[in-house]
Amino acid sequence: MSRKDWSIGPLHTSLPGPMHMVLKLHGEIIDACQVETGFLHRGLEKQCELHSWHAALFYADHLDPEGAVFSELVLCLAVEEIAGIMVPERAQSIRLVLVELGRISSHLAFMARMARSVGSETIVHYVLRDRERILDLFELLTGARVSLNFLRYGGVKGDVTDGFIERVLDVCDLIRFRMKEYNDIFTFNAIFLKRTLGVAPLSVELIEQAGITGPNARASGVREDSRKGSPLYQALEFDIPSGKSEDFFAQGWRGLLARTSKGCVGDVHDRFLVRLREMTQSIEILRQLVAQMPLGVYQNTSIHIDRNYPIPPGESYQRMESARGRLGCHVVSDGQNFPGRIQFSTPTRASLWALPQLVRGIRIEDLPVVLASLDLSIAEADR
Amino acid sequence: MNWVFLWLRALGFSATVPGIPLIALACISLFVILPSCALIAYLDRKLSADLQARVGPCRTGYRGMLQPVADCVKLLQKNSMHSQTLGELLWMLLHTMALYASLAAIPLGSLAMMVDTQMSVFIPFWSALVLALGTMLLGLGQYTTPGWLGGIRTAAQSLAGTFPSLIGILCVGMHAGSFRWSALAASQGFLHWTMFAHPFLLLAFVVFVGGGLVLLAIAPLDGGLAMSDIHGGVAVHVTGRQLALFQFGRFYGFFIWSVMTVVLFMGAWRIPESLRSWFLALDAEVCISVVELTWLLLKTYVLMLFILWIARANPRARVDQITDFSWGVLGPLALVALVGTAFWTMV
Repeated sequence: MSRKDWSIGPLHTSLPGPMHMVLKLHGEIIDACQVETGFLHRGLEKQCELHSWHAALFYADHLDPEGAVFSELVLCLAVEEIAGIMVPERAQSIRLVLVELGRISSHLAFMARMARSVGSETIVHYVLRDRERILDLFELLTGARVSLNFLRYGGVKGDVTDGFIERVLDVCDLIRFRMKEYNDIFTFNAIFLKRTLGVAPLSVELIEQAGITGPNARASGVREDSRKGSPLYQALEFDIPSGKSEDFFAQGWRGLLARTSKGCVGDVHDRFLVRLREMTQSIEILRQLVAQMPLGVYQNTSIHIDRNYPIPPGESYQRMESARGRLGCHVVSDGQNFPGRIQFSTPTRASLWALPQLVRGIRIEDLPVVLASLDLSIAEADR
Repeated sequence: MNWVFLWLRALGFSATVPGIPLIALACISLFVILPSCALIAYLDRKLSADLQARVGPCRTGYRGMLQPVADCVKLLQKNSMHSQTLGELLWMLLHTMALYASLAAIPLGSLAMMVDTQMSVFIPFWSALVLALGTMLLGLGQYTTPGWLGGIRTAAQSLAGTFPSLIGILCVGMHAGSFRWSALAASQGFLHWTMFAHPFLLLAFVVFVGGGLVLLAIAPLDGGLAMSDIHGGVAVHVTGRQLALFQFGRFYGFFIWSVMTVVLFMGAWRIPESLRSWFLALDAEVCISVVELTWLLLKTYVLMLFILWIARANPRARVDQITDFSWGVLGPLALVALVGTAFWTMV
């Protein structure tokens, strides 16, 4: 069959956001591909430098629209380290509740994109229906559903509202219950297995080369999670799940079914599975967090940060585990009331770098599935 | 053409109206095919909405019942996005040909039949092939990568689906001793369906339906029209009136395949013999044709909705896996069914 170039993007249904791909096709097989991004560059980091420290948080909020709380938190951590601002324990707890809810919400959105990419419309609706419940929780606490703008240097904007804790537990139960349903209809569906098992496995070498972190790396057995060892998560018990390399027998005959078919470690199905398992862990973390929510104030009362508040000169790099991987934030302060430099290091960049190697040799029909399985956020990569 | 005279007489016309075949064709498309299309389109949208925890169409008419009409009217007033190419003209020609050639041979009851030859079964089968060919040409004629890929995928799938489904037909022909619609119906009874006659025919039924899904690229086996990777494939540049024609053609393929399945395997239009003789005693032959048609269409709709239900619950399969499945699984199974039926018929 003839060779042919196919240029897709910047807008295309199979792409996670505005990006451009030039595929060299051999029939339906992708021989090579070039990736171009930058279409969604908004100059967030530069904007941060042009406004007060206070305003930088609002910009950080928009780094990744699907996981606003992660970038807020990582910026807060860095600035708090430079300025030596103490955060009350209750505020820490509220922050982590938001982070874990954000992780579940992001993973649910991932499931919806994954389902859409294989053309399973039903599961898209199911998953988005349940994600609404989490957005409801965000709304209850922060007043916003997507772009939360709730974290502040030294705490959070407000205390938990009445009934919030109970509803978090309700939603945890609901999601736990629904995951059984997802598994029945989707995760171990024969066609879905055929489309995902053994497709585009991420090798450990490529992970190391590209610096891929988060669920994508863990699916291939690289069990690294910056939550472990982080002081924020010290008191919490949770596992770091991985993909197929985990014990299959724990899932009964369905697991055996998946094991006996031809899948390999780190393939698309693993990346799907690892996020499902992470949701379970997040639910466990949430239950622990709300069970031992400390009393006290939700904001450091000794400081009042407005737009004229100067941060002492210094430099800090903080990182945390966002839903997509390790999110880093480098903050430099010149002692002014605006940041000297704020720079984010985002997990999607690494996955994008690995993309050309990953899609080599797959079929066109698998391209949207592979792209969805990497959980790319172009907003985050382009900043 | 018996039934047209019957109806004309029942409605009080003399039987010498000119252009009887045209009237018959118009009647079939206006009173059977189009309403079926609207009904299935509505039920598909409404039932899949129920499955997917949403509401579905609810604005047009009572519970959105006029939605198919609204969709059609909307498409009909739209112009095509670009000027027509030669390939598209060819496609439209093939489409229309497939449609009207098989309308004449579509079996809708013992009385409502226009053409009933020794090779009746193969006329709708041929029209399904022509539809697939037309879809392929439409894709290849677009000079776009999605259209090209969609066309190639359609061609691969229809090739793969034809073989098993053709053998499925042979099994039934062998069982009934003829490919004549009337003979195929006569070999079955109200509840004595060919598919339950013996296990090999049940196998042939499965193969025939599966092969048809592959041949006509019906969801979830519709890789040639996949939305996620080639954003619609063949249909990507089809807009407005052409889209209405395209979708109607696809529906027609699905419909005629289901009618064929019902006539071949699921008891055709046979109603209980007592009911039939009661109508005959009353000299109400029109009633017989109405009841037969209703029973046939009812079974057809149930089969179609069952297939749509499967499509809603499953992801879309990959084209190479579909063709592998068709050649590697359905093909051998079809041969097993053929040999089994042959032995069973001999014994």
